[in-house]
Amino acid sequence: MPYDSLNPVIRPIESARGLPNSNYTDWKVFEEEREALLFQNWAGIGLANDVPEPGDVAPIDFAGMPLLILRDHSGNVRVFQNTCRHRGMILVENKGNLRGTIRCPYHSWCYNLDGSLRATPHVGGPGKNVCESVKREDLGLFAIRTHVWRDIVFVNVSGTAPEFEEYASALLHRWREHEKPVYHGGDTSGFNFDVACNWKLAVENYCESYHLPWVHPGLNSYSRLEDHYHIEEPGHFAGQGTKVYRQVVGDEGEVLPDFDGLSSFWDTGAEYIVLFPNVMLAAQRDHGYAILLLPQGPQRTLERNEIYYSFDPESRPDLAALIDKNAAQWKGVLEEDLFVVEGMQKGRSGIYFDGGKFSPKMDGPTHTFHKWTANQLKSYRGNRAAQ
Amino acid sequence: MNFVDLNKRILSAHASEDGNMLARLYGDAGTQMLAAGQVDEGCFFLTQAYVFALENGLDSAEAFHGYLVEHGREK
Repeated sequence: MPYDSLNPVIRPIESARGLPNSNYTDWKVFEEEREALLFQNWAGIGLANDVPEPGDVAPIDFAGMPLLILRDHSGNVRVFQNTCRHRGMILVENKGNLRGTIRCPYHSWCYNLDGSLRATPHVGGPGKNVCESVKREDLGLFAIRTHVWRDIVFVNVSGTAPEFEEYASALLHRWREHEKPVYHGGDTSGFNFDVACNWKLAVENYCESYHLPWVHPGLNSYSRLEDHYHIEEPGHFAGQGTKVYRQVVGDEGEVLPDFDGLSSFWDTGAEYIVLFPNVMLAAQRDHGYAILLLPQGPQRTLERNEIYYSFDPESRPDLAALIDKNAAQWKGVLEEDLFVVEGMQKGRSGIYFDGGKFSPKMDGPTHTFHKWTANQLKSYRGNRAAQ
Repeated sequence: MNFVDLNKRILSAHASEDGNMLARLYGDAGTQMLAAGQVDEGCFFLTQAYVFALENGLDSAEAFHGYLVEHGREK
């Protein structure tokens, strides 16, 4: 049997190695992971808040696949492949609002916002808009399986994953007390980082607390390493929790309102979890956030950071400054991680790096993610080989 | 109909991406040609009008569609 470089990854943590360099640097592996990790699972690609009004459209390049998020005239969020069924032209290039149909800019085939093909101008010759061999009912846009949770638009491109509620059931149960309406904090509560690293390195860094005293010394002054615990749900998610969460406090001593009905655990507890593959989440008493990792290639990732509150910020202008302060604080903390993920990316150009060595005490969540990745890839490759 | 003038107005509307105006201009041209018995030319212009009316969510799309259906050019 040929050597499989993924086999050492799925060993018990004591003897395991991390994923090979090629999983971070190689286009071929990137494309395999795109299928096996991002398309066959539920991945986050954007926000329902990106398309707040009926007719709003937001095109996105998701790991090289052109998708279109839209809100139809009934208020439903839908995702389609952003490609005309005629000649493969990109349909929508820019975010905006459509008053009517989606018109392909090439030959003007028109699609309703439910994806159905509405008009095929001149398809049967000038002024003749029907053609026997062009059956509109067979030529609607390719609909992508979509689910919205906590304002995040998740897609399962392959269409083969279990229902989202089943896929994410362990996390939904764990955070059931946080299953409440969330409100985006506004302009300052959304910020992006364009990062020179493979998207998985952001996952790996996010779900471990080992680095906190070194990379986030400011946090360590009150949230020490020993105040944290690992979170590992093999096959689903990984992360870390803290027992000493402190709310941001304003100049007058004001704090942000809590989510209703939380148990006392959340008074000082907070959790930071990556729902595999690419959505990094935070649950805290007074706000949460989501970070979407949007791969741009094997060595480039767009990190989209969005912060949410328990109340509509427009209803509490008195808290605007505190929301801004909270967002600035998080932006500072998250920026502290950038040199680490970019540094790990650079390090993976070292030909003698062998995936690294895990600490059984400290690297459990990272290994949980590596093992999930390796198993997903092995299964994908096995299925491909059998075809 | 002054086609030189119409052409200028259509090009101007294309340049400014004025979909409402395009639907109107193409629609006027199409209906006038139909009235003059020029069915093929009329349906060409009405097709153009229909597309811009659809894109812009205009009520006139229904009327343009009706003309095209009537002449066997749309379903």
